[in-house]
Amino acid sequence: MKRRDFNRAAVAAGTAIAAGGWQPGRAAAAEPVTLSFLHKWPEPNNIRFFREAVDAFQKAHPGVTINMEAVADNPYKAKIRVIMASGQIPDIYFTWVGEYTRQFIRAGRVLDITHYMAAPEWQGRFLPATLDAYKTDGKIYGVPVEVDAKFMVYNKKLFAKVGATEPPKDWPAFTALLDKLKGAGVVPIAYGSQLAWATVHYIGDLIAKLVPPETRVADYTLKTPANKLFTDPGYVDALGHYQAFLTHGWFNASPNALTHAAARASFYAGREAMMYQELVEFGGVPGTKLGADGWGFFPMPAIPHGRGRQDLLTGAPDGFVVAPTCKHPDVAMAFLNFLTSQPQGALFTTDTGRPSATIGAVTSANASAATLRGIEDIKHAKGMVLWLDTDVESRVASAFLAGGQALMGTGGTPAGVMAKVRAAALQVQKEQG
Amino acid sequence: MRRRAIIARLAPYLALVPVLLFLAVFLYIPVVLDFAYSAHAWNSLSPTWRFVGFGNFRELLHDPLFWQSLRGNVLYAVVSLIVQVALALVLAAVLESGVVGIRLSAFFRVSYFIPSIMPITVIGLLWQILYQPDVGLIDQALHAVGLAALAHAWLGEEATALPAIVAVSQWQWFGYITVLFIVAIRAIPRELYEAAAIDGARAWRSFWHVTVPGVTETTVLMALITIFGAVKVFDIVWVMTGGGPNNASQVLGSYMYRSAFRDDRVGYAAAIAVVMFMICSVVGAAQLYWSRRRAP
Amino acid sequence: MMRRRSRLALRLAPAKLGALTILTILAVVTIYPLAWLLLNSLKSSDALFERSWALPTTWLWHNYPEAWRYGLGRFMANSVLITGVSVVAIVLLGALAAFVLVTRRFRGRGLVTAIVLGGLIVPPEVSLFPLFKIMVLLGIYNTYLAMIAPDIAYGLPFTVLLLRAYMTQIPPEMAEAATMDGAGLLRCFWHVYLPLARPALAAAAMVQAMRVWNEFVFALTFVSNDALHPLTVGLTTFGDSLNTNWPVLLAGLVISIVPILVVFLLMQRQFMRGLTAGALK
Repeated sequence: MKRRDFNRAAVAAGTAIAAGGWQPGRAAAAEPVTLSFLHKWPEPNNIRFFREAVDAFQKAHPGVTINMEAVADNPYKAKIRVIMASGQIPDIYFTWVGEYTRQFIRAGRVLDITHYMAAPEWQGRFLPATLDAYKTDGKIYGVPVEVDAKFMVYNKKLFAKVGATEPPKDWPAFTALLDKLKGAGVVPIAYGSQLAWATVHYIGDLIAKLVPPETRVADYTLKTPANKLFTDPGYVDALGHYQAFLTHGWFNASPNALTHAAARASFYAGREAMMYQELVEFGGVPGTKLGADGWGFFPMPAIPHGRGRQDLLTGAPDGFVVAPTCKHPDVAMAFLNFLTSQPQGALFTTDTGRPSATIGAVTSANASAATLRGIEDIKHAKGMVLWLDTDVESRVASAFLAGGQALMGTGGTPAGVMAKVRAAALQVQKEQG
Repeated sequence: MRRRAIIARLAPYLALVPVLLFLAVFLYIPVVLDFAYSAHAWNSLSPTWRFVGFGNFRELLHDPLFWQSLRGNVLYAVVSLIVQVALALVLAAVLESGVVGIRLSAFFRVSYFIPSIMPITVIGLLWQILYQPDVGLIDQALHAVGLAALAHAWLGEEATALPAIVAVSQWQWFGYITVLFIVAIRAIPRELYEAAAIDGARAWRSFWHVTVPGVTETTVLMALITIFGAVKVFDIVWVMTGGGPNNASQVLGSYMYRSAFRDDRVGYAAAIAVVMFMICSVVGAAQLYWSRRRAP
Repeated sequence: MMRRRSRLALRLAPAKLGALTILTILAVVTIYPLAWLLLNSLKSSDALFERSWALPTTWLWHNYPEAWRYGLGRFMANSVLITGVSVVAIVLLGALAAFVLVTRRFRGRGLVTAIVLGGLIVPPEVSLFPLFKIMVLLGIYNTYLAMIAPDIAYGLPFTVLLLRAYMTQIPPEMAEAATMDGAGLLRCFWHVYLPLARPALAAAAMVQAMRVWNEFVFALTFVSNDALHPLTVGLTTFGDSLNTNWPVLLAGLVISIVPILVVFLLMQRQFMRGLTAGALK
C-alpha cells in the first residue's frame, strides 16, 4: 500500500513532464477532443491502472475525453473482427504483433507513426528488439506497453526431491530430469490445453528450434511456393517432440480437460514440478505454496542439432496501435507517450504485476527479482519467436490450435496435423492469389 | 366524425406497428441478409464482396468439419428428444398421478426446475469444475461407488466431450419441460381419468390412453422447441469447451461463430447460418402441416 | 372386497417405492451440484483440491466479499436493467398486439399472425453477423440498446402467441361493452383486457425474464464494453481472472444465482397458474 501511494505521488509530479510533445494549450483549447480506446485488460487490478491513467491524462489535458473499453483476451479476438467489419475502429486499440497486426496494416487499419516516434521524448524508451516487433517494412506501427516471454517455471522443493539444484542445460538433460521426476512419483509438468491457445506456445517454440528460420518465416507468411508450403520435416519433428510430453507421462493426465488457469492453480498449490508460463504471470506467484517452496525458471532448453534457432525466446510485447481514421493522432500519441512514460510504466507494473515495456520502469521496488531477471533474459535473447496463433493467418492458426489438442488426445498424429495445416495454408494461399 | 372513423380503422395497424417493426428489423431482415452474405466471399477487412454463387455451399458439402458439426447437432437432438420430451412426459405424469403426495410432488417439481433458471455461464463454469478429472465431483463419485474404471477426463477427451455437454443440457432443461407437461396434464378433464379408473385401467394404461393423447399438442410443441434448441445450440458449447478438443464438440452454431469471428470468413459463416435456418424452417413447416391436417 | 384392496395396496407399494426412489435420485442430481457449489465456496483452495466432498473445516465467509469486490455488483445491476426494460417492453407490446389480433377484424390479420408465428422459427444465433451490421447502422452498437432491442424482438413471437391464446378465452362482450361506452382501443386494452389477462402476463413475464437474464450471445457479440456487460458475459471475465482461486470464483457464482432463484421461488405459484390458465390449445 505504502509503495503504491508513493508511486502515485511520483506520477502526479511527473505527469506534466511526461506528457510533453503535444501542448494542450496550443492544440486543444479550441475544441474538445474525444478519443476511443480499446484494450484487453478488463480484470480488476489491470483495469484500475488504465482507469487511473486515463483520469490523470484527462486532468492534465482539459478538453480531452478518452472513452475506454476493455474486453478479456479470449473474446477480444472475436471482438476486433467485428469492429473491423463495422468500420468503427477505435482511435487507439490493442492488437497482437506479427501477422495479426500485418493484416490490419495491409488493409489500411493502422496508422504509420514513424514520424511521431522520431520525437526526442520517445528515444531510448524501449528495447530495440521490443520496438522491432512493431516494425513492418522499416516503419513503426505501434507502441508497446508490456513485454512478455515464455519460461519453464519450476518448483525448487520438488526439484530437490530428485537432487536437481539447477535448471537443465539442454534437451537431453531436460528429458532426463523429466524422467527422474516421474520416477520419483512427481508429475513433471502442469499443463492445461482446454483453451487451445496454450498448445501453440509449446508448438511455436519447438518449430522455431527444429525448422530452419527462413523456411519458417516464408511458410508463416505464405510466401513459400505451393508445392513446398509447410512440408519441411522439422514441423512433424516439432509436433513429435510436443506429443512426447504426453506419451512419456511428463504432462499431467488429460491436459485437454484443464484450462491453463486451472493447471496453474494446481501448480501454484505445489502439486507439479514445472509449468510453461508467461513472464506476465510471475506476479501471481508470491503468497502461493509455490512461492513458499521456492521457485526459478529457465527458457525452453536448446535441442542439439536442431535445424532451427536455439537462441530465440518465445514471446512478444503487447501494445497499442492508432487508427488512421483517428481525427487527433497527435493527442492519441500524447496519451500513449504518457501511458508508457517511466512513472506510468512503473505504476503499471506495481498495479498489475506485469512487466512494463518501458526501460527503467521495472525495478526492485515494484517487481520481484524473478521478473527482473526475466526481463534481462529478454534483453539478451537474440530475438523473439512470436505467438504462433497470431503469427500465421487465422485459418492456418485454427488448424494448429485444433492439432495441438488432437496431439494431447488419443487420435492425432504429427503428420496428420501437418497435413491439415498444409491444406488450410494452401486454401488461404490460393484465395489470396 | 370522419376523422374519428379513420382513426378507428387505423388503430389496429398502429397498435401492431411496434411489434412488426421489431420483428422486421431484428428477425427477418437479418435472415435476408444472411442469404445475401452466403453468396459472397468476404471478410471483415476486405473492401469488396466477391460473388461466389453457391460456392460457399459447395465447399460446405466437402468440409468434414461441417458434417462433424452437423452430427453433433443430430446427437443433441436425439438425446434431447428422448430425455426432454419422452422422459419429461413420463416424469410429469408420475408427479401428477398422486403417487407421492401433493407437497412432495411440488418439491420435486420446483427442484427439477431450478437448473433452468441459472445463467448459462454459471452452469458452464460449474460443470467445467464438476467434470474435472480427479478433483471433480463426477469422477470422485465414480471412485466412491467403486466405478473408478468409468472415470474420464470428460471435457478433455474427444469421445466424451460432446456427450458430456449434451448431458449438462439435459440436466438444465428436463425440469422445465416437465413443468410445461404438468401444465398440459392439468388441462385434461378429470372425468377421462375417472372413466379409465372405473374400467379398471392400470396406471400405465391410463397414461397411455388418456394422458398421452391429452397432451399431444404440447408434445409436438415441445418436440419442436427441443429440435430448434438442438439446431441452434451455441452458448453451452462455447462456454464449456469452445468446440474443442480438436473440434470434437463442434456444433453448427459454434462452427459458424468460429468461421465468422475467428477465421474471419463471413460469407462461409452465413452459409452455415442459412443451413441452420433451412433445417428449422423444414421442421417448422412439417409441424404446421401436421397440425393443419389434424385440425378439422 | 377388503382382500382385493389390500392386495392392490401391496401391489402398489413397490411401484410407489420405485417412483419415490427415482424421483429422489433426480432431485439429488439437480440439487447436489448446487449444494456442492455452496459448500466449496466456503473453503480454501487447498481444501477444495484435497477433499471437495467434505464439509469445510473452517468456513471462509470472506470469500463472498472478496468475490463481490471483483465487480459483480456492476454486472448484476446491468442484468437487472436489461432484464427489467426488456420484459416490460415485451409484455406490453406483446399484449397490445395479442389484444388487437383477438378483438379486431381488419385486413391483413392473417398475414400479421403468420409473421408473428414465423418469428418462432428464426434462431437468433444464425443472424449474429447481419444483426451486428444493423446495430452499427442504427448507432446502438455497444450500448444497452444493442442487447435490449434484440432481446425484445426475439421474445415477442412466443409472448404474443401465449397471450393471444389466453385472451381468446375472455368473452368478446367485454370489449364490445367497453367500446359501447365510447372507450377507445387503448383504453379498452388498458382497463379491460390487461387486468383480466394478469395471470398470463405474469407467466409470460416470468418466461421472458428467465430468457433475458440468461442471454449470452447478444451481450457477447454486440457489446464490447465490459462496463455494460450483464452477469452472463461478465462472469467469463470473472472466471478468467479468478481461475487461480476457485472458492472465490464459486462464491461469485452463488452470488449471481441468488437473485433469480429468490424471484423464482417467490413467483413460482403464479407462474404455474398463469401457464395453466393460458395453456396453449
